[in-house]
Amino acid sequence: MTKTIALAGNPNVGKSSLFNELTGSQQHVGNWPGKTVEKKEGRLQIGEEVVLVVDLPGTYSLTAYSIEEIIARDFIVNENPTAVVAVVDASNLERNLYFVAQLIELDRPVIIALNMTDIAKNRGLTISPDVLSERMGGIPVVETVGNRALGLDPLKEVISRVINQPHIGKIQTNFSGIIKKEIVQLRKLAETQDQVVDQFHPEWLATKLLENDPGVLETLKSLAADDLLLAASQARQRIEDQTGDEAEILIADQRYQFVAQVIDSVVDRPLKPIQTRSDKIDGIITHRIWGLPIFFLTMWIVFQFTANVSAPFLDWVDIFINEFIYEWAGNLLNLLGLEGSWFRSMITDGIIAGVGGVLVFVPVLLFLYLALAILEDSGYMSRAAFVMDRVMRWMGLHGKSFLPMIIGFGCTVPAVYATRTLEHEKDRKLTGFLATFMSCGARLPVYVVFGSAFFGAFSGNLVFAMYVLGIVVALITGFVMKNTVYRGQPPAPFVMELPPYRIPRPKDVWRQMWERTRGFLIKSGTVILGISVALWLLMAVPAHPDVGAFSAVDAEDSLFGRISGIVSPIFKPAGFGSWQATGSLITGFLAKEVVIGTMNQIYADQIPANSGPAPSFGKDLAEAGLGFGRAGVLTVQETINIIPRTINLVPFLNLGQINFFSEEMEVDDTTRLEESLINAYAISAGSKEAGSIAAVAFNVFVLLYVPCVSAVTAMRQEFGARWMWAQIVYTLILAWAAAVVVFQVGKLFLL
Amino acid sequence: MTVITLDKLGAGISGKIKKVGGEGAIRRRLLDMGLTNGASIEMIRTSPLGDPVEYQVRGYRLSLRKSEAKAIEVEII
Repeated sequence: MTKTIALAGNPNVGKSSLFNELTGSQQHVGNWPGKTVEKKEGRLQIGEEVVLVVDLPGTYSLTAYSIEEIIARDFIVNENPTAVVAVVDASNLERNLYFVAQLIELDRPVIIALNMTDIAKNRGLTISPDVLSERMGGIPVVETVGNRALGLDPLKEVISRVINQPHIGKIQTNFSGIIKKEIVQLRKLAETQDQVVDQFHPEWLATKLLENDPGVLETLKSLAADDLLLAASQARQRIEDQTGDEAEILIADQRYQFVAQVIDSVVDRPLKPIQTRSDKIDGIITHRIWGLPIFFLTMWIVFQFTANVSAPFLDWVDIFINEFIYEWAGNLLNLLGLEGSWFRSMITDGIIAGVGGVLVFVPVLLFLYLALAILEDSGYMSRAAFVMDRVMRWMGLHGKSFLPMIIGFGCTVPAVYATRTLEHEKDRKLTGFLATFMSCGARLPVYVVFGSAFFGAFSGNLVFAMYVLGIVVALITGFVMKNTVYRGQPPAPFVMELPPYRIPRPKDVWRQMWERTRGFLIKSGTVILGISVALWLLMAVPAHPDVGAFSAVDAEDSLFGRISGIVSPIFKPAGFGSWQATGSLITGFLAKEVVIGTMNQIYADQIPANSGPAPSFGKDLAEAGLGFGRAGVLTVQETINIIPRTINLVPFLNLGQINFFSEEMEVDDTTRLEESLINAYAISAGSKEAGSIAAVAFNVFVLLYVPCVSAVTAMRQEFGARWMWAQIVYTLILAWAAAVVVFQVGKLFLL
Repeated sequence: MTVITLDKLGAGISGKIKKVGGEGAIRRRLLDMGLTNGASIEMIRTSPLGDPVEYQVRGYRLSLRKSEAKAIEVEII
């Protein structure tokens, strides 16, 4: 049987990095059974032996107050891993060893991986691993620097040794006085009951009973161990009577006292704490005056980065798929004698056009996830929560709610799951609800396409405005809910660590970027492919036998066109009451990025065929290659241009931006879809100018209406069906009202 | 020897924790984060909007809302 080791530790100790180093590419990311917390498993090869490595959620403690803690502790108690590797931040040894002390109480072989010793050294701390090992009851201690793969081989050796001859480090549990006495008594009582001993280690159970641990109490109730419960409650009472403090407080006190003693003999500290670079950086970033401007500047740069820097590759992928692949796949099918057949139409107009329209935005997502990974790994994210807590509280939320909200900018689905880091159900529900207004990565392509079609060089303004609007709507919704639905309820606790700043590790950043984007790709490969084909089918089936045959009917006369046409008058007051716009919104519920995919398909009919000399495959391929190189150069250009653009935010300053290519090469950036859009909106809104306003209204609707089916499913799973329906109804009404207001008011002022 | 609540501690001032009040999940979290009797704690700075507050405790940085800091009594050293 394969042996299992678990990686456990506090958040922000480099656990994920170590997990990646140990397991390399042999890992599997999924969920804990029945839970939505991410579970990572991987295989570690040590010589001949293969060991299963499970990455437990990062927690500060092993109580039963948060879902992560329960998962970590249940895994160790129920799954009996052969050994637990406790990843420990050497620069923050006290709080980390407090956690290790609790791990040891669980009575499994523990190995300490002393991580981040480089940071500890910067703080002037000298740590003796040998003395640490001795003071922690002889459990092995291995120095791993964490950021460089140093210490990995020694760690593997120790793991191999420990799992082959498990030796449980027996530290003399650090409790004393009345606590120790009561633990011994409860342990003896527990040992007499077989069914209890089957489930729990008696000494651990006794400690948890004194701590009044809700999880353990519940299990004992289900086992009907009434005498044990009674004895525990009497013991707690005796402790309180004698000391004036509750047992829970005394136990935490004594654990920390034990840890403090260990540290005194293990760590050499400078007399006066050294001010590290991290402390100095923190002084600026959370500064009274500079804190907020830095926060907004950071957000601005992230948007510039995702919207403008990714644009050249976006254009390239667009041309590559929608022109090169589309054309040559079509030619290939013609060669096979399928010209004009429904099969060719399904492949090119259904599959290639639909999925292609989605793949086009992979560059945007890669850049967005890159920015998010850097924010998370550098330690800035928790500072953002620190700076923004006051604002979040105004909506009745926790500064930590800021994190799911930020993740919401990437995708609403992980944002909904990220609400699990919040301890209170009320916070989780409200955060998940409001996170849907954070404009997700799938909505971004819509703004980008509309922005460059209608506003050209100012497309960034539309994108930025949409993001700001989403935040404003969330603020107002939160404020209203706090004062209505949640009126009179106490606020949830805040209590958050501010980890030291670190330079993000490219390998970890890359992995996060890749995993998240891959998640999107898998989704687009399955769900969206299905949708594309279904859509093609709806568009191929004529609404009436008189208007055409299967696969030979105008989109407007197809089943899809008719359905959209019936719904479309609802959007007339918002200026986009055309069947095409309505149709793309309907499919957009399935996944918002499909809005553009659908438009690609619908307008494919109206796009004029390419004229000019007959191209050759080789020449086209060479051009595609050349275009890729050009996109790379443009990316560099746009990255550099963030600097002048940011400086230009200051009034009266106007720095020039660099431009690697001559203007005429830049002119024809408008793709075929964009031209069709301008025409279509001019028609549905009445004039070209009104069309631009209608386009904004359309984007507002896309921002606010029901999040995609995956997000809605996630919400149902997390918060229940009632909450999900409330969300759907609220967002539909809100989106419609906002779009109408934008169009009507916009017309009043601008025309 | 003055005993005050933690939220009253000025920037750059250290104190020793005398008592952790409150109950349930909040108190447990405070204890787990190392805010136990006798621990020394220093106020570093407040957030730009005046709340929460950043503290140095047990060798790391922790932020608390003023309303939470109120439940903790410290003795100024």
